[in-house]
Amino acid sequence: MTTTKKYWKGLAQLHDDPIVEKLAQNEFVEELPVEKFLGDKENLSSTNSSRRDFLKFLGFSTAAATLAACETPIVKSIPYLVKPDEIIPGVANYYASTIYDGRDYASVLVKTREGRPIKIENNGTCSNSRVQASVLSLYDSARLKHPLKQNQEASWRTVDSEIVEKLSNIKEGKIALLTSTILSPTTTQLIKEFSDKYKNVEHLMIDSTPYDGILDANLDSYGVRLAPSYSFDKADVIVSFGADFLANWMANEYATDYVNGRNPKNGKMSKHYQLETNLSLSGANADKRIQIKPSEHGYLISSLYDALKGKKFDSRLSPIVKSLKSANGKSIIISNSNDKNVQLIVNAINNKLNNYNNTISINEPTHLKQGNTQKLNDLLVDMQAGDVKALITYNVNPSYSYANSSQFNEALKKVDLKISTSLHNDETASLMDYVCPDSHNLESWGDASPKHGTYSLMQPTISPLFKTRQFQESLLVWTDRSDYLTYLKNFWTNNGIDWNVSLHDGYFNISEPKLSLKNFIDKSSPINLVSSNEIELELYESIALGDGYQANNPWLQELPDPLTRACWDNYLTISSHTAEQLGLLNWNVSNGALNGSLVDITSDDVVLRNVPVMINPGQARSTVGMAIGYGRTKAGKAGDNVGFNAYPFTNKKTITIEKVEGEYEFASIQLHHTMMGRDIVKETTLADYIKDPSSGNHRETYATYKGKLTADKVSLYDEHDLEHGHFWNLSIDLTACIGCGECVISCQAENNIPVVGKAEVRNSRDMHWMRIDRYFSSDMTEELSAEQKISMIDMFSEMEEPSENPEVVFQPVMCMHCNHAPCENVCPVAATTHSNEGLNQMTYNRCVGTRYCANNCPYKVRRFNWFQYSDNDKFDFNMNDDYGKMVLNPDVVVRSRGVIEKCSMCIQKIQELKLDAKKSGKPIEDKDAQTACASSCSTNAIIFGDSNNKESLVSKLRTDERAYDLLDHLNVRPSVFYQTKIRNKA
Amino acid sequence: MTIPFNNNRLLQLLFVVFISFSSVLAQDTNVVIDSIAVQKGEQIFKANCTACHVMGDKKLIGPGLLGVTDRRTKEWLKKWINSSSDFIASGDADAIAIYEEYNKVAMPSYYFEDTDYEAVYAYLQNPPLPKVIADAGDLLVSEDEGLNISTQLMFIALFLLLLVYVLTSLKNKLKDSLAQDTETITQTLVNQFNLFISNNRNIVFVAFACFIVVVKFGYDSLSSVGIYTKYQPEQPIAFSHKVHAGENGVDCNYCHSSARKSKHSGIPSANVCMNCHTYINEGTITGTTEISKIYEAVGFDPDSRTYISGYEQKPIKWVRIHNLPDLAYFNHSQHVVAGKVECKTCHGPIEEMDVVYQHAELTMGWCIECHRTTEVAMEGNEYYTELHEQLKEKYKGQKITVDKIGGIECGKCHY
Repeated sequence: MTTTKKYWKGLAQLHDDPIVEKLAQNEFVEELPVEKFLGDKENLSSTNSSRRDFLKFLGFSTAAATLAACETPIVKSIPYLVKPDEIIPGVANYYASTIYDGRDYASVLVKTREGRPIKIENNGTCSNSRVQASVLSLYDSARLKHPLKQNQEASWRTVDSEIVEKLSNIKEGKIALLTSTILSPTTTQLIKEFSDKYKNVEHLMIDSTPYDGILDANLDSYGVRLAPSYSFDKADVIVSFGADFLANWMANEYATDYVNGRNPKNGKMSKHYQLETNLSLSGANADKRIQIKPSEHGYLISSLYDALKGKKFDSRLSPIVKSLKSANGKSIIISNSNDKNVQLIVNAINNKLNNYNNTISINEPTHLKQGNTQKLNDLLVDMQAGDVKALITYNVNPSYSYANSSQFNEALKKVDLKISTSLHNDETASLMDYVCPDSHNLESWGDASPKHGTYSLMQPTISPLFKTRQFQESLLVWTDRSDYLTYLKNFWTNNGIDWNVSLHDGYFNISEPKLSLKNFIDKSSPINLVSSNEIELELYESIALGDGYQANNPWLQELPDPLTRACWDNYLTISSHTAEQLGLLNWNVSNGALNGSLVDITSDDVVLRNVPVMINPGQARSTVGMAIGYGRTKAGKAGDNVGFNAYPFTNKKTITIEKVEGEYEFASIQLHHTMMGRDIVKETTLADYIKDPSSGNHRETYATYKGKLTADKVSLYDEHDLEHGHFWNLSIDLTACIGCGECVISCQAENNIPVVGKAEVRNSRDMHWMRIDRYFSSDMTEELSAEQKISMIDMFSEMEEPSENPEVVFQPVMCMHCNHAPCENVCPVAATTHSNEGLNQMTYNRCVGTRYCANNCPYKVRRFNWFQYSDNDKFDFNMNDDYGKMVLNPDVVVRSRGVIEKCSMCIQKIQELKLDAKKSGKPIEDKDAQTACASSCSTNAIIFGDSNNKESLVSKLRTDERAYDLLDHLNVRPSVFYQTKIRNKA
Repeated sequence: MTIPFNNNRLLQLLFVVFISFSSVLAQDTNVVIDSIAVQKGEQIFKANCTACHVMGDKKLIGPGLLGVTDRRTKEWLKKWINSSSDFIASGDADAIAIYEEYNKVAMPSYYFEDTDYEAVYAYLQNPPLPKVIADAGDLLVSEDEGLNISTQLMFIALFLLLLVYVLTSLKNKLKDSLAQDTETITQTLVNQFNLFISNNRNIVFVAFACFIVVVKFGYDSLSSVGIYTKYQPEQPIAFSHKVHAGENGVDCNYCHSSARKSKHSGIPSANVCMNCHTYINEGTITGTTEISKIYEAVGFDPDSRTYISGYEQKPIKWVRIHNLPDLAYFNHSQHVVAGKVECKTCHGPIEEMDVVYQHAELTMGWCIECHRTTEVAMEGNEYYTELHEQLKEKYKGQKITVDKIGGIECGKCHY
């Protein structure tokens, strides 16, 4: 029986739509130019190569390639002629040293291989991502390679003799030495000696972000122009008015203490209030965050002082006042205001609360900020008047970072002798007569005193790569001497320091008597509320770039901001409410990437055009934030013209915003902002934790015939043998993690992770092996929807929207090293396999690039090499640069195109650790087991170790009530686990 | 790439016999001496004297000692060796003259037993014959292997020609005797060939044989792609491991010291060479030619025995023999120290190699094979104590080989 039944491919075919017929006729939707080319006889005959020629070429090139492949490559091996005793090829040496670039300070251990520094490790102090990345800045090929005279190459001999001659000839007018804050006692001494030789030398220090407010207030209160040191671990209540002390405020050393004061195991956590405009890292970690406008800043501090004096106060402050009342001598009040009057009230509050000598120490001050902007302003007047005959700059870039840089540049023209000692031919150096390039920290000798009684030494870990000379040596030469090392050594040995021991340790303490200061004088005066309807601007230093000194460091440029998750940019952060009012939008385009509206911003005479707008939850209404450190013009190929220079807005309070045509393309690596009601980050409060340590650590169950069981009880997998030998585990404490991103850079340095550039990040092809997911809380919760009878669809769509003042959680995510790994099952070539030590191994040379594993990974931590990122002009970053490549870790393969890569749990470090133990015939000690992320973590949020070693910290953490597996319902049995986030809130 | 071994053992044997015979002949020309004493004397000489003296005409710290027994009497030498300073003080004119000539440096005193002194004297009297200095190129390829194969082929070809000639002439003789027409050799060959190809079976057989040969050849050559066993490149300095590690018994670790500490065994830096070659200016095979290349690299003047100041040193560019690809991580110290593997397990009879060649295949199969069969050196290593107990229980009675502790997992070598 034949059937007449006819099947239609679609409604269009049934209705005889002409397009169906058209498509049926046309196989290739996009027309191929075959006809056009072959049909044109003339065109065809005029081509030089025929089809036969083509086949000949093809045959020849195939044959040639085959033949070429047969030849054995000759590899040369060139040993040292005279091998330095301390170098054994293949074995790393560590040197204690110091990093200080005029902004960030850290005592560090420098790992060198074959005489090349390749990694920075912390030497017991808190550091940050910029310190970690500074090893790449050493190999910056944009650094000056020789001295410059009028922007032309010159020899040191010429430059020195001319400078000395010119300096000596200055009879009238002054010589100005403009530097960053100097931490080095010997440099201070040298500057003094320099001043003795050349009369009329004025030494000025400035900070890229000025702290005059605090310094001047202390001058009034205590008679010393110094900034105090803080002990955040001793504080029960921390109230920060805008000060991002966990990231960039003052010294980068508070995070460790802060987290030490917030260990829920002790049953006590400090209570952290943050009152701020922009959502900062500290605000994100705060227990209670209150949004304020910059114009309210002084008023609220004043009101808090009133409250403590028992007067009427702003109702927003009531929980703070309540907390402070029971924390006599155990609180810290700080403010990022640069207004002396505000800081005077802060001092008065801290004095009232009895914090001095308890949590705040003014007689053991920090030395990290000593700049005086007023002196620079005065200098500018003198320069303008022609009174300054010579200007020498060190570690500063005022043509870029001074609020009034055009005025500075103008005044600079009136100076006869202009000398810069910058490492780069930067914005300021390029305007100078002479540039005497300083050496990088890792090439220099030095010392530093970050704090009263604390000292650290800097030692070179490599000979200068270029014809550079450290600033101290230049000062010696200009005072007719040389050899800074001997100078430094004599200086300290004369002070009774054991040079060798101190150099080995990297630091030493001198028990100096505390400063004797006059008694506190309260010079504060109340500040009233000034209401304003204008949009207020607050500048901030971004987590990645800070003040922009290392803008040419591609690692830092590609480090996503912890909060906006965007990289390679700065932008105007704005609240969703204000954005709506101004008609500004953020939206995702077809490939998921984020686009934003453009605006022109104006404040008095300062204008920035076509600035993109980033809607950032947490930003206070009617305010905008913008990061400084971007918009460099003479930083180098990676840093030039990235973002906008916000420094000219330094002293501007309000701006006008005008929407303009066009859209901006961001490179943001996180597109979902909320957890959508899932417990990806498990969270509880301190009160609940004390009642039940496993609170918040709820586990999904499955209904089985044996009753409700958790996923690990219903496994279908065969178990790996993880009982014998090692079982490497990583514990991540979400309470201790502040989201700073230091581990991301550390991982990048350790594992030769390429930089892919803004366009590829935008394509979601970033290569970082670890990311720090950031989630905002949403106003909508499941409870609320049940209460208000909101439909599922509405609930989920509302859940996508972060709150206007959200709670923020950070979650570092790397390969979880699942012991039931979904990726291992789907690899067709067994390129990803499991080890008997609980690691998920990735074998690059087996990988054929199907990406099945990446698709099957529930955590999305596998990265595919879409391109060859090394030696490729399309990716012109450090891996395409002879100098930049020197930072690569020789123990880790540089991956080629077409393979998957991911976190290896630093298997090279594990193997080295085991080998050292085997060679010395001793069991592994727990403290020696480290991954790059764990060793760099300043807050000890990441703990690595062997869970089969019952003594190890990680084995105890694994069985802790707070421990949980990410997406535990999948039962993939990760080797990486988390500790619940605990907030100190009611 | 050349293979040093000659297949023709016979020729080698003949060569060795010839050389030893000729040396026996040469020795016969001398007075018959106590060869045992000379050997002993040589040992004592090498242990005590070579730092300052050479067995030649050249000066080192002290004079060259070739023919010293002709210049000085036995008693004179004995006094000088026992205590040169006393001898000089006694006012001997010759002794004073030497003292003056060598910058007033007295020779350290040596007190030998009488038999030892006799042995040294015997050695000084019978210095070793100056060796024939070979060229560096000769050292590399002592006998050319290509020539040997062609010689063999030539012999076979000659033999075949001879056979053809004999058979043809035999045939012609027979034909002659039968009064048939005789054929020339060419005619015979052509006729026989035509006869051969007239049979299809023959053609099929030959074609099949050719096919087998081609397949075998193709398979062999393809499966050896990337395997460089016997790779023996020419080095910038004809350094002989045979002389150093074999004859002189220098420990591998003396030069390759980082093998115990690092992933690299380390090619010794030139300053390690100079530890000995400051004094040893002449090699046993190549004389001064090769050793002077070290001097040229580091800037050393062997005559004044000083480093030339301001000399622009020239690195020595050795050709790497063992080329493991970058994707494979290998650590020498792991194997040498933790695994207690002997160098020769992988590197073969280094002490017999004048020019080093790659002994092992260095393929992944080769690595894994060893890891599957080698027992882990767990005894006496505290690192393994706990694991050893656990594994003994798990693999009752079985050898605990490297693979049982994860030694064949991908991530152990590839990361």
